[in-house]
Amino acid sequence: MMDAKKAAENIVEGLKQVGIDFVATLPDLKLVEVIKVIDEDPDIKHVPLCREEEGVGICAGAYLTGKKTALLMQNAGLLNSCNGLTTTCLQFQIPILLLIYYAGDLGDRGFATLGSVTEPVLDGLGIRTYILRKMDEVAETLRGAQILAEDSRRPVAVLLTKSVLGVK
Amino acid sequence: MQRYDYLKMIAGDAGDALVVAAGWAAREWQVLRPGDGNFRPRTLGLASSISLGIALGLPHRKVIAIDGDGAFLMNLCGLPTIAWQNPRNLIHLLFDNQCYEASGATETATVAGTDAVALVKGAGCKHACWVKSPEKFRQEFLKAWKRNELSFIAAKVEQGQPALPPIRVDELENKYRFIRHIEETEKRAILGPSDHRRG
Repeated sequence: MMDAKKAAENIVEGLKQVGIDFVATLPDLKLVEVIKVIDEDPDIKHVPLCREEEGVGICAGAYLTGKKTALLMQNAGLLNSCNGLTTTCLQFQIPILLLIYYAGDLGDRGFATLGSVTEPVLDGLGIRTYILRKMDEVAETLRGAQILAEDSRRPVAVLLTKSVLGVK
Repeated sequence: MQRYDYLKMIAGDAGDALVVAAGWAAREWQVLRPGDGNFRPRTLGLASSISLGIALGLPHRKVIAIDGDGAFLMNLCGLPTIAWQNPRNLIHLLFDNQCYEASGATETATVAGTDAVALVKGAGCKHACWVKSPEKFRQEFLKAWKRNELSFIAAKVEQGQPALPPIRVDELENKYRFIRHIEETEKRAILGPSDHRRG
């Protein structure tokens, strides 16, 4: 398994290849390395958040000015963001690449309840969702998800699991 | 004094600022400064966050966020984020009528003394003040414009608004017109050709 720093660089490189230049984040312990790499990248504007739903608004505003945006958060943040995703992104047809750490995924202790509602919530919102489990699929999946988001003008979710984050 | 009495004082001073306002405030602003540089969100609380995103995306362009107290209270956690980013080009306005007027006028917490300016200052924004008259409001707005630093101006207002026509533009049209307005005024493309033709 790649270490977390290399895994983070792999993810951020994937984002940059598809043109993402604006990322709002709220940390999960498993996302810390990704956030550090984003923060240090001169080609990406990084906006640290206090609550995830404001990130939906910030990314939507940035999109209106021509930015390609992503929102990086844990799945609890997805739940915090549901109204914004619905009445800003879906209602105005504004894309955001949602990068969501899948707490409570297969074998992940402590977050089973959160894990159990994650995919049904995304499904209920009508947000297309891809689960990333293999490191060598990172670039291709991020690229494909961003193309789908731009083309459908809707958010698209990529669920990040421990194996692609290089963490246990 | 109602919000409209305040807004009309600055409509002629807002230039080519991009303005984000929801609900009745949006309708008032559209009458006072018609045009496509007005974006009308539908998520309670997100006007200030959307404004931040616009301000960060176009740092040379003035952006004005117009909040009511219900929206302001809904998104208090957005205030530290705005202060942290500290965009020079953002002016955040609050009209506090101490109730959820659009939802039946039940009271908000500001009726009990919650102080929006203290909250904004506490979040880290240096330039935040209350104004007590439309004339003072215009003075502070012009100061904020010239200062070119993140600024917040709040006023207590009475409920109510003049009878105004509805805006005959839905969310999608609002979005596209707003983006096209930015394209025209910034002289650059934002929306590309249809994505399937991009190759």
